[in-house]
Amino acid sequence: MSNGEKRRGLWIDPRTKILLLLLCVLSATMAPSLLYEMLVVALVACFGIVCGKVRYSIIGVIVYGGFYLLTQAVLQMPSGNVQVMLIAFLGLVHKVYPCGILSGIIISTTKVGEFLSAMNRSHISQKIVIPVAVMLRYVPTIREDWHFIKDAMRMRDVSPNLKNFILHPAMTIECIYVPLMMAASKTADELTVASVTRGIENPTQRTSYVRIGFGIADLIVVLAFLAMFLVGQFYGEVF
Amino acid sequence: MIELKNITFSYERREQGGLRNINLTVKNGECILLCGRSGCGKTTITRLVNGLIPRFYDGELTGQVVIDGKDIADLTMYEISEKVGSVFQNPRTQFFNTDSDSEIAFGLENQGMPTEVLRQRVETTAADLEIQSLRNRSLHALSGGEKQKVAFASVYAMNPDIYLLDEPSSNLDMDAIQDLRKHLKLVKQQGKTILIAEHRLYYLMDVVDRIVYMEQGQIAGIYTPEQFRAIEKDERKRMGLRAVDLHEVHPQFTSPGATENKILKLQDVGLYYKKQAIVEHINLSAGIGEIIGVVGHNGAGKTTLSRTLCGLHKEASGQFLWNEKAQDGKERLRRSYMVMQDVNFELFADSVEAECSFGIRNPDKSLIETTMDSLGLLPYRTHHPNTLSGGQKQRVAVAVSMICGKELLVFDEPTSGLDFDSMEQVALLIQKLSAMGKVIFVVTHDYEFVCRTCSRVLHIDHGEQCDDLPLVPDNEENLKKLFSI
Repeated sequence: MSNGEKRRGLWIDPRTKILLLLLCVLSATMAPSLLYEMLVVALVACFGIVCGKVRYSIIGVIVYGGFYLLTQAVLQMPSGNVQVMLIAFLGLVHKVYPCGILSGIIISTTKVGEFLSAMNRSHISQKIVIPVAVMLRYVPTIREDWHFIKDAMRMRDVSPNLKNFILHPAMTIECIYVPLMMAASKTADELTVASVTRGIENPTQRTSYVRIGFGIADLIVVLAFLAMFLVGQFYGEVF
Repeated sequence: MIELKNITFSYERREQGGLRNINLTVKNGECILLCGRSGCGKTTITRLVNGLIPRFYDGELTGQVVIDGKDIADLTMYEISEKVGSVFQNPRTQFFNTDSDSEIAFGLENQGMPTEVLRQRVETTAADLEIQSLRNRSLHALSGGEKQKVAFASVYAMNPDIYLLDEPSSNLDMDAIQDLRKHLKLVKQQGKTILIAEHRLYYLMDVVDRIVYMEQGQIAGIYTPEQFRAIEKDERKRMGLRAVDLHEVHPQFTSPGATENKILKLQDVGLYYKKQAIVEHINLSAGIGEIIGVVGHNGAGKTTLSRTLCGLHKEASGQFLWNEKAQDGKERLRRSYMVMQDVNFELFADSVEAECSFGIRNPDKSLIETTMDSLGLLPYRTHHPNTLSGGQKQRVAVAVSMICGKELLVFDEPTSGLDFDSMEQVALLIQKLSAMGKVIFVVTHDYEFVCRTCSRVLHIDHGEQCDDLPLVPDNEENLKKLFSI
């Protein structure tokens, strides 16, 4: 990039990313078939790979492939209550999955500063932008907190694994939920304090250490997602 | 100039930390240290000056805070932020970006400084504070000390007239504290006004101009560093203050030394993270009741060692022997317990009593009763753990470890951010556990605390075990060197 910073992958403006998410939601909810959904996931994964999230994207596709095969198998099953239940569940997974994986890519590749500057440029109210920014910043903190909580649980012989979750669901959830909430309120306070004492509420036009702005890359990815959506709408019968 | 005029304040829903009749004038270029017990109101004063009270923390406030002739009640938060820069205690939660450069630039971006000037400012900030090596790094990968430097840099870049620091050294090792001192001296030379609320006093003695001692929300005395140094040791302890000069702190040699029965042995233990060696060739044996201090720089691998001792970290080589029998991770996990720096993560239940029996299938009622009694927790048995003070939470965690019958305890920085009284209480607690025959490891940067409690000091740095010093009179020099005193 122009400031000599090493950045893995392509840089996409935060506003473009929001547009992509919107297109992805539309494509997934109005998807004509399972095969089409698979292609949407593949497109999202390609986007992830060019943004530098190679491992995450590949794993995302593989897991989705599993769901795809599972769904095919369920469809072959003799009809009955079990099949209806599974289809309802899998239907939900298919609607949510592509958007979930795209959100993951967006959150992990967007810096808080970039986000703030981009939103500021589009004159979006600070009342919306600042809480979202705190949220963006809070996500990696959850991961750190989770490591501590996992350690604490293991020392109390309440391991956070599937077996315990099935045997003692209430206790396992309590173990994760209580400390996470306690930590969250404190962390959110401290983050907010750190940001307001550095003038995050300043209404002047915000500048950015990292250059932001739309480029040719933004146009290409938007066109790709838009094409995907339109194909689904008008040539759905192909799939 | 900062003027606090007839300030009286009380927090909503909280007894401690209020202020009564505070009058204080800080001249331009002056450096003031605020000290006193936890809850004496020193942090509250810093929050008044940076405007967080009343804008962020609710409460009843009378009186006036005036900065450079302007009543800060008339200023907005971002106008105050251009005059007053704040550095806080917790390095984990005071940065807002994920990389160091963006973080240093963050305040300037908010001010709308043109990108070119902004880059230049980040450049000079890094040069002035000698932190070029921290540029363009992921903040999550930095050690606590390094994060704190970036936090200071991000304030420095905004070039405020007033620097406010609230217990900035709590999570720092000795070297990082020396760097902080250097940075404070630098901004003082630039004619900035500095206000620090702090428990650790020794590193500030040649930086500050005046020392404000507070007691229960009031200013109980204002000293020059000379007058402050002259305070008798016993008087200082009565005031609840930490040591002013670490040269005068000596090990007490009261802890049980090496007993014959070496119950725990580590033989050529190596610790790895994702196949990268962190620390190698650790050889150690510990007797029943021993209290071993684990010291080393931020990021040297102390936490990994603690987690491995408790069986939480799996990538390790070498032998862990307990009573001459080799122990795998699972057995270590069953035998040990770690009292974390942030105890909140290990408290799950909705009352102290429920916490003590949490996760145990057939809890022994009388054991729980006696344990709570011996740790002074009986009056709080129905309280929610979250309503307790930090020290009380620590004791609840210790109670849990006793009820679970754990034999090896690790304390991770149990005294960070504690005043003298609380530090002494932690020391007594640990000595009690030692008398009960536990093997105890304490990860710490706190020289006073080490002198007060430990029987041995294990030093880890540069990927190896550098020293294993028994605390005997002959070793005092070495110990001081270890803490760069």
